[in-house]
Order: sequence, then C-alpha cells, then structure tokens
Amino acid sequence: MTPVALEKRPSRDKRKGGAKRELSPAARRRSLTGWAFLIPAAALIGLMMFWPMFQALLLSFQTGRGSALDWADPLTFNYSRMLEDDIFRLTLTNTLLYLVIQVPIMLISALVLANILNNPKLRWKGFWRTAIFVPAAISLVSYSLVFRTIFATDGLVNDALLGIGLIDGPINWLGETDTARLVIILGLLWRWTGFNVIFYLAALQNIDPTTLEAAKMDGAGPIRTFFSVTIPQMKPMILLTVIMSTNGTIQMFDESYNLTRGGPANTTMTMSHYLFDVSFQNNPNFGYGAALSYVILIIVAVLAAIQMKVGDKRD
Amino acid sequence: MTKFRSGVVMAAAATLAFSLTACSSSDDTTEGSGGDSSAAAAGDNTLTVWAWDPAFNIYAMEEAEKVYQEEHPDFTLDIQEVTWEDLQPRLTTLAQSQEFDELPDIFLMQNNAFQKNAINYPDLFTDITDSPIALDEFPEGVVAYSTVDGANYGVPFDSGTAVSALRTDILEEAGYTVDDFTDISWDEYIEKGKDVLAKTGKPMLSGIAGEPDTILMMLQSAGQSLFDDEGNPTITDNAALSSAIDLYSQMVESGIYLEVNSWDEYIGSLVNGNVAGTINGIWISGSLQTAEDQAGNWAMTNLPMIEGVDGATHYSANGGSSWAISSNANVELAEDFLASTFAGSTELYDTILPSAGAVANWLPAGDSDVYAEPQEFYGGQPVYADVISFGAEVPANNTGAYYYEARDAVGVAITQIMGGTDAASALGEAQSTVEFAMN
Amino acid sequence: MAPAKAPTRATARWRGVPKYVFLSIVALLSIGPLYFMVVSATNTTQDVLASSMLPGTNLLANWQSLTEFQDVGSAMYHSIINAVVTTVLALVVCSIAGYGFEVYHSPNKDRLMWVLMLAMMIPFAATMIPLFQLFADAGLINSTWAVVLPAIATPLLILLFRQSARSFPHEIIEAARLDGLKEVAIFFRMFVPTMKPTYAAAAVITFMTAWNNFLWPKVILVNPDYQTMPMLISNFTGGYVVDYGALMLAVLITSLPTIIIFFVLQRSFVAGFTGVVK
Repeated sequence: MTPVALEKRPSRDKRKGGAKRELSPAARRRSLTGWAFLIPAAALIGLMMFWPMFQALLLSFQTGRGSALDWADPLTFNYSRMLEDDIFRLTLTNTLLYLVIQVPIMLISALVLANILNNPKLRWKGFWRTAIFVPAAISLVSYSLVFRTIFATDGLVNDALLGIGLIDGPINWLGETDTARLVIILGLLWRWTGFNVIFYLAALQNIDPTTLEAAKMDGAGPIRTFFSVTIPQMKPMILLTVIMSTNGTIQMFDESYNLTRGGPANTTMTMSHYLFDVSFQNNPNFGYGAALSYVILIIVAVLAAIQMKVGDKRD
Repeated sequence: MTKFRSGVVMAAAATLAFSLTACSSSDDTTEGSGGDSSAAAAGDNTLTVWAWDPAFNIYAMEEAEKVYQEEHPDFTLDIQEVTWEDLQPRLTTLAQSQEFDELPDIFLMQNNAFQKNAINYPDLFTDITDSPIALDEFPEGVVAYSTVDGANYGVPFDSGTAVSALRTDILEEAGYTVDDFTDISWDEYIEKGKDVLAKTGKPMLSGIAGEPDTILMMLQSAGQSLFDDEGNPTITDNAALSSAIDLYSQMVESGIYLEVNSWDEYIGSLVNGNVAGTINGIWISGSLQTAEDQAGNWAMTNLPMIEGVDGATHYSANGGSSWAISSNANVELAEDFLASTFAGSTELYDTILPSAGAVANWLPAGDSDVYAEPQEFYGGQPVYADVISFGAEVPANNTGAYYYEARDAVGVAITQIMGGTDAASALGEAQSTVEFAMN
Repeated sequence: MAPAKAPTRATARWRGVPKYVFLSIVALLSIGPLYFMVVSATNTTQDVLASSMLPGTNLLANWQSLTEFQDVGSAMYHSIINAVVTTVLALVVCSIAGYGFEVYHSPNKDRLMWVLMLAMMIPFAATMIPLFQLFADAGLINSTWAVVLPAIATPLLILLFRQSARSFPHEIIEAARLDGLKEVAIFFRMFVPTMKPTYAAAAVITFMTAWNNFLWPKVILVNPDYQTMPMLISNFTGGYVVDYGALMLAVLITSLPTIIIFFVLQRSFVAGFTGVVK
C-alpha cells in the first residue's frame, strides 16, 4: 500500500456501514475518542493555517504604510495595483521559470536514480545511496551560502572550469541574469533530487515483484518495464512529489534571499522574497503583501488541482 | 497506570491545542535561555544596544561604554550584533505588532533609512529634541536625516563624507601622483584611469554591480538626489543623473571600473590590491586599514566633479548612521549616556578615530589634535583633518521615506543599462517603479 | 533500446559500466560541495577564496573568529530546542490524528480529513503576516511556542500516519479491545511500537524541516538572543568583512545535526515511507 491517497477512500470498506446506523454506547464512546484524537491536529491546522489565511484575505483589502492601515477604496485596490507591478510580474516569471525547468529535471533524475539504486545487483549500494541522499540533510541557508561561495567570480566552479580549459575567462555566475538563474536551479537540483529519490525508493519497494517478473516473461526490456510496469505503480508517489515540489518552488525564499539576494536587478527574485521585501524591508505595505500572498495561494491551489486531475485521469 | 498516562496525554494534547491562549501571558518571559535582554528586564544601569559592525560601530559603542564608566562605574552596555539587513525587518516587525518591549534602548540606523522609519513608525523612537543632547553641535545637513516635522530622533554617529582613496604606489607606476587626481573632472579621471589601466593593468576603482552607490555619490556632489523638494521621484529628466550614468557606463566599458558581485568581493578587490583606488564614504578607511601590507601606500583626495551640471562640486557623501533612542528605553540614562559620549566626549572620538577610522560628525571633535595627526597608513597625510574640511562642503540633498525603493530602482536600471538597455527607457521604468511603490 | 533477451556475460558486464560512471559523476557532484564546505572550515579566507581543496590548519582560528562575535552556543541551543520540541509534538499530534482518522473513521471525519488536506496547498507566505499578528497579540513573540506551534500539525504527516494506520491489522485492535484495553492504550501499546519505521521517517522529515526553518523564525524571533543557527549564518554574510573560513565552519556546524539524524535513521526512513509493517 502506498502512502498516498488524496482521493476519497475506497468505498468498499467493510467497517463503514456499522458505525453509522445504530451506535452502541461503546461505539459512541469510541467515536468520541476518535474525535478527541483528531482535535489537537485539526485545531492547530485551523488556528495556524486556515485562520491566518482568512485574516490575510481581510488584510489584502486594506492599504496604508506601516501600522496606518485602512480599508482600500475600491476594496480590490491591491489586486488591481498588482497588474501594474513590474517587479511582481518579474518575480512571478522567475518563480514559474524555476518551476517549469527545475521540477521536471529533478523528478526525472530522481526516478532514474531511484531505479538504479533499487537494483538488487548494484554494488556499493550503501555508498551511492548515502552520496545521493546527503544533500537533503543540509540546511537551505547553509547550502545557499556554500553555492554562493563556489559560484563567486573567483570561486571553485570557475577555477575548475578554467583548470580543465572549458572556459577562457571567469564567468560572472551571479552577476548575469541567465547564469544566476542557472545557479539557483542547479542549487535546487543539488539539494532536492536526493530527497525525492528517497520517496521513489520507498515507492519502488512497494511494487509487486510478480508484475516485474511477468513483464520479463513477456520479453519486455528494462526500459519498457520501467515505463509500462514500474511508473504506473508509482503514480501516487509521483503525484505527491510533484505537488510537494511545486508547492516548495512556488514558496521558495531561502535560496533567493541567501544565494543571489534576488539579483542581478531582481531577475532571480522569487515571489516569497518579494513578499518579504514589500512587508518587512521596504516601506511596509502589509495589505499589498497579503494580496501578493493570496496570488501565491491561488497559483499553488490551481496547480495542485490540475496535477490531481491529470494524476487521476491516467488511471 | 495506563489510565493515568492516557489522561496525561489527552490533557497534554488539549493543552497544546489551546496553548496559544492559555500560555500567552505566563510562558513567554520564561522561554529560552538568555531572555533578559529587553530594556525593561535589564538593570537600571544597563543599556541594550543594536549595532552591526564589530570593527566599527560596535567597537565605538564599546569605547563609549568605557568613557561613560569613568563617571558611572556601575554602568554597562549589552551590545547585540544585528546586521542592518536584519535590523530593518526587526524594527518593522516590532512596530507592526506594537511589541515595543522587545526594542533595545539604543539602536543604530542608517541615515538614509531614518526618514522612512521615523515617518512610518514614529512610535519606535524617543523624541530627543528637548533632551540634554546638544544637536546643534552637529552639521545641520546630518541632523536633517533624523528630523521629521521638526522633531529630532537621532544622534549622528559616523560621517559619510565621501573621499577618493588612491594607491600612491600604483599611480606612481603609471607616472601619476595624488595631485593629478585632485580637483579634476570625471572626464579627466576617466582619461587618466585608462592610462593607469594600460600601464599597470589595474582598474581605477571597483563597486558592486547593481548597487548605485557611485552614481548616487556623483549625484549628491551636484546637490541632486532622486527626489525633488516635494518628495516626488526625479529619476527621469534628471540631468545630473544621466551624466552620472553616462560617466559610469564609460568607466565600466573602458574597464577602469571593476564591477563585482558582493560586498566581500568589493572589499577583496581593495585589500588584495586589485584596484588603484576607491570612492566611498570615509568609513571605508576601516576596511582599507585591514590591509596592513599596503600601509603607507594609500592617500585620500576629493572627488572628481561632473562637468556641465549646475551646482557640481568635488564633495559628496555615502552612508553614515545615527544612534536612535527607542521608545522602550530608559530614556534618562540613554540620553545622558549619548550626551556624555557621542555628543560630548572628545576623548571618545580621539580613541575611535585612529583605530577604526570613525570620523565624527560632532563638530567639536574636529578641533582635537588627533584629527590633525599625520596618518602613517596614508603616507603621513592628515587625512581626517582633510575629511572634516571636505565634510563642510558636502551639498545637502533630501532622502525621504522612499529612498531605498528609489535606490533599488536605480540599481536595477543601471544593471539593465549595462546589459544594453536604452538608458531613457530603463530610467523611465525606474521612475514608474518608485511612483508605483509610493502609490 | 531493443529488449535484450538473455545477454551474454560479457555484454552484461559492459552494460553495467555506464551506470557506474553515471553514479560516480552524480556522487561526485553530490559530495563535491560538501567536501568543499568541510575542507573550507579548516582554511583561511584566502584559501577558501582560492578554492583550496586541501584541509588547512585554520580550524581553531576559524572557531575563535566565529565565536568572538556570535553566540554559537545559544543559537545551537535554540535550534535544538525548537527542532526537538517540534518533532516530538508533531509526532504525537499527527500520529494520533492519523490513527484516529483511519481507525475511527466516519463520513464526518473523512470530510474533516479532506478539509485538512486542503491546508497542504496553503503557502506559508500567505499566512505569515496574520500569523505574526496572531502571535504578537498573544504576546508570544520570541518564544519557542511561536516557532513550534505552526509546525506541529502538518497535513503531510497526518496523511503519512493515516496510511500506515491503514496497513495496521484491524484484528489486533479488536483483540485488544476484547482484552479490555482502553483506546488510548491500544494506540500507545500496539500501534506506536509497530510503527517505528513510520515514526522514524516522520521524525527525520519534521526535524529537518524544523531545523532548516528560516523565514518564520527570522520574522518571529526578534530578539537576537533567540536566534537560531540558520539565522546566525545568514547574518554572517551581512557584515562588512566576511570571514569565509569561519562562515564555512558555521555552515558545517549547522549541517551536522541534520546529517547525524539522517544517517542514524536512514534505513528506517525509506522503510517508513513504504508503510510496510514488518
């Protein structure tokens, strides 16, 4: 059984009917116990996620700098203001660019690596696993600063590339838009690919070995087997990782803040980083910040909905 | 036993869910280890201070503590290092939540950010207009940074007077002296710079790509800023700004201005001897002097002038900071402390000047002999006396609440222009970005 | 790509080579930056900037320069407290909820589960400002609670535990009930010990997330005395002169706890996510 079932639970559950119709005192007490089990988590999620989300909605209809907040006129002022915000558009483009380029590369690499690591005949398996997993244990701020250092103009990467003669002069990695974005993407790939390999390895262990045997019997080669037998069985896990990565990328802050500081000329800045600047670094505009955050929320929700739909369809 | 344990767990879970309200009044003061840093909790003779540079303003604070302790032996300071990039969000956060209890007694503020904070959040500050601190002993232009509607909120600390620091040994190699770079125009500077580059392979100066410090110094040297007197952004139709940007592009293109990516690369270019000089606020002296092997090879002079722009001078400023007394302070003690140190102790400035290069804004300090002393690091030049005389010539300009937004927007525009975008459209975009932020 | 039937031994060996080359490159890229980080922690700033790949002798000096102005002990203490408290509470709260959703499930509870899953889509950035005001109103700024409370209940963990509860044999529960065990006791005595791998996986994920948490602590922990390790190293580059050797040492120290936890629990980690009961 895979750990993912965002969809409704299977209806053929035999425990379902009995509980509802006539509740014996024991069953009722049990049901109450069940509620008691859920309440701490539900209350926390309500208070720490849903309530602030509702507050943010109210806040997004207010304007003013600092603590002098007032209802906007019209109420949607912050949202219409956003349409003229070039920096917002830039950060949106940046964030989506990271999403579109980095997430597919990362997940495909992770799938390939997980499949290789899952091969029982693989030698030095422990070493490979460790090497691939270990970046996932490094803190985001730490690795951002390490990457910042090795991609400096006189940093390790330039030295290495110059050393093997691939480039003639040092590349100003963090100083040019394209290369700075590339560094962020490379950083994300480095940090998160191994993390996803862990999930895929877990999913691979759940694959029914008889289906693989059957594919072999049918004369399917390893690649064919991978696509027509392995991948379909891993679909729930792939869906989960797609949603998690999408969510993480859309909300990315640490890398933008620590690795490139959003530069050059805001061309690597993410939406969350801009939100932070608007709210805390510049003349504080919390109403506008909240409106920005709602746009982030809507993007995440729409993408997640699309992903679940697509994930469902191929069943 | 089981029953007891399960009861405890359920109780714990329930408490947890509602701990927000339940624990709010009692637990917060006891969390963590060293929670007594807020002014209210500290003793009567202790002031908490936020400042950001151990080699510079934190050091100056430590020396001020010693000076004040001579008269008040029980007095202590609790100085906490908070980088500027972190201090601004913290102030915003605290002001927004009205959590003034968490403020230190005194915090350092960038002069350029003072208006923004004092306008948005006057609650953060204590008005020191009528305090024993003699603000009339500071240059008017500097006090203006921390003055909003006639109320003063800050005691000026370091001077941001700009200097052109030069490596005499490199210039000599190219056949020049410091005099060749004194009282010149930017055109001459560029011409000579190209020659220096050709003969020594070293660019004249360096700066962080996308940070408009150099351009803003040029701008202020002509008495201009990014805002007009009414506080409207003037990024377009600004003759001084377009000349400055034009000069800047010429310098970058000819290779005499080395663009680097970060502050530490910038400092590196200076202390590693990769450039023949730099143009910055006098506070850069503290960093220059870390390159002990270059002692005797540095000199300072005034800035090149933008030709053809009204009001152009050889003098400008960059940076500088002021001490603010928070609204949570032990006001009497904090005022007395600042009045007897940063606004009243020649001894203090005499100490911090040579060791940290902290040039005072406090006018009486300039009369001290220490300022007239020849500095060995600068080849025997009495640089600090020179800087004081420069300081008197710096044209005033206004910063306003949106200085940082404008500064960032100009930084973006410069990056775009360096990348090939047409200057007029890049500046137009910057103008609308600032107008947008103010809207 | 044609299906290869019964390859000869020679081709089989040859076929393996690209795989090992590929793995070696991946491993090199993976470990390279870490090796640089470890080596740089022992080097001077000059050596770090010169990209020295050899260990130096500057470790002690870096440590001194790191601790001269930075209270590493305090930051470490707060990081550990925050991460440990978060992890322990998250495991208790989420596992009991996941178990509750599965074992006592009813249509209403399923609906609640569905609503809670929606929270997975809420980006933290969207809740940050109101959350901040909530904690400010409650007077909880600078408190461990402010860091911990928002991180305890996460949809992902609840989901994980509900899935593992689904694979937990229901007969065990029935049998325990017949033996007169209380519901809570069944959870703690039967479920928890069986689900150790799931707990390990959940612990690793939660601990790492809590340890790495940066934006929220940066906002809510205003007093420098409460700063955590990620905040400390981020601020490290904000000064006027950066000591890279000391920075790399700080980065290394910040990474050590998560690396250790990860290696200790690595095996259970994969097993936990498979959700298989041994």
